[in-house]
Amino acid sequence: MDSLITAAAHALSAGAPLAALKWVALRDDPPALALRGIAMAQLGDLTRARELLRSAARTFGPKEPMARARCAVAEAEIALVSRDLGRSLQTLNAARTVLEASGDRRNAAHAGYLEARHLLLIGRLDEAERVLDEFDAGALPPASLVGRELVVAGIAIRRIKTELARIALERARRAAEDARIPALAAEVDQAVRAFGAPAARFVTRDVGRLLHLEEVEKLLASETLIVDACRNMVRAGKKMVPLATRPVLLALMRALAEAWPEDVARETLLKRAFRARHADESHRARLRVEIARLREAIKPLAALSATQQGFVLRPHATSGVAVLAPPVESDHGEVLALLGDGEAWSSSALALALSVSPRTVQRALEELAHDGKVEAFGRGRACRWIASSVPGFPTSLLLPATGISG
Amino acid sequence: MKHSTAEIIREYGPFPDVDDVAGVSFDGNQVWFATGEKLNALDPESGEILRSLDVAAHAGTAFDGEHLFQIGDAVIRKINPKTGEVIAAIPAPGDGGDSGLAWAEGSLWVGQHRGRKIHQVDPETGKVLRTIESDRFVTGVTWVDGELWHGTWEDSGSDLRRIDPETGEVLERLDMPAGIGVSGLESDGRERFFCGGGNSGKVRAVRRPSSALSERGPSAKAGNPENGLSKS
Repeated sequence: MDSLITAAAHALSAGAPLAALKWVALRDDPPALALRGIAMAQLGDLTRARELLRSAARTFGPKEPMARARCAVAEAEIALVSRDLGRSLQTLNAARTVLEASGDRRNAAHAGYLEARHLLLIGRLDEAERVLDEFDAGALPPASLVGRELVVAGIAIRRIKTELARIALERARRAAEDARIPALAAEVDQAVRAFGAPAARFVTRDVGRLLHLEEVEKLLASETLIVDACRNMVRAGKKMVPLATRPVLLALMRALAEAWPEDVARETLLKRAFRARHADESHRARLRVEIARLREAIKPLAALSATQQGFVLRPHATSGVAVLAPPVESDHGEVLALLGDGEAWSSSALALALSVSPRTVQRALEELAHDGKVEAFGRGRACRWIASSVPGFPTSLLLPATGISG
Repeated sequence: MKHSTAEIIREYGPFPDVDDVAGVSFDGNQVWFATGEKLNALDPESGEILRSLDVAAHAGTAFDGEHLFQIGDAVIRKINPKTGEVIAAIPAPGDGGDSGLAWAEGSLWVGQHRGRKIHQVDPETGKVLRTIESDRFVTGVTWVDGELWHGTWEDSGSDLRRIDPETGEVLERLDMPAGIGVSGLESDGRERFFCGGGNSGKVRAVRRPSSALSERGPSAKAGNPENGLSKS
């Protein structure tokens, strides 16, 4: 590295992007382009930042694969923060391989952390966990370590392992103190608040109340027969019956569980499962078919008996029946749950994260926007969506400036 | 061209609060190394940092027997090592793209990193007296016993090379182990090179090849600066 590049990299590491730009603003060699890109990212101009990093990577040329890989990692991080989830996974994986092979452990670990964060965002928890094990967390700078611990906590929360989540959040808090970056400390606080907020609604015939994650964990560990409408499955202890692809069965099961130990009238079941306003003979025939299917599906957990009025649930377990529902139910709860992270998402990233078509997401977003629950900004491909309840949209760019310029 | 693998004799650091090491120099007792906003004096025997001077220190470091020279931003500063006082400043020839710095025979020798050049510079005026071309990114530069050595560090690897100061021809090459780079370079006048380790935050001592010690071969051509220093 040369003198001004070193000076600029020092300024960036100290969080002084304007000072860094002072050194390299007029230079167009690839290390200078890369550092200008990082400075622009720190100043919030992500579009310009990506252009600069891309042209830096291009001009580094084939003889400097490591420098190019570092640029690719920085660019992928910007894409991740702006929720442009399209291609960055492949880029990150390729860059990590190059960096590991060249002995740049620090940036390789950073790329690995970003890969895990990406996988967590699109709900691929097993892969996220595997990637976390693949790199040396000890090589991460304190700022990226905060991010890593938040990913660990995120996985634990989604897996409903509160103790692991609590420990990871505590480690994140300490790492944020070491890093001395206020934005990071704020992000950890936000994660801690989200962790402490109600995670689900508990519904039985007699009560309905909000549960914290810890109580959910306790409930799931019991033998209670639970219709889990958050994860679309029926479970009791370790036995689970997934119903994610069978919404009619889930709706029937939920109606039966909410009424238990009473029975549910056929008309009610028809309304709940098929949204039928009045029941005719064809509806009744269809209900018989679906009840038979449900009976078969939940055989390991419960039986169904016909009554005078309709049907009643007979769980094998003795410790009762409950429904676990999302804390706030709306038609597009999954979309809102993703936007609830406070970031600005593109509709294609939401579609990718939810494994549904872009058109489906688009329709959901339009309805939510109509109800004032989400807002859009930007046009065309740059259009992003945020939840209206979230003030602003923080970015957490941790771009390690050291070494990016080769 | 002779070609061998560099033998690392000793590693110093990493040191607290040092993320990367730029230039290194040797004043006969202490190794000076630049770390961005500071010049640190290292005792090469104990491995302790004895003291630090607050001065912009982003690239090469040199010692003329009395003063330290240090590249910071786009300027070469002349510094009193006892007080840290900046006595004079001249513009760096690479306009901020400068890397290594050495002192020999009344001139400063400045590596220009991506420019792949070494400039001979008048230490009073900053005027470029002549320029030697290399085919690699130049990092540290040092003169020892009439031999001009410089470090290279490109993406894939790093080495120390002795070049013909007239033609730039590479006469000898010591490859650094994979993943280890050379930022600054200075010889102690005898059997050691001190090397800045860039973002490893370390300073390393590398054995100077014994063949080079015994032989005063091609580099002793007429017109080369003889090493006039007691030792820098």
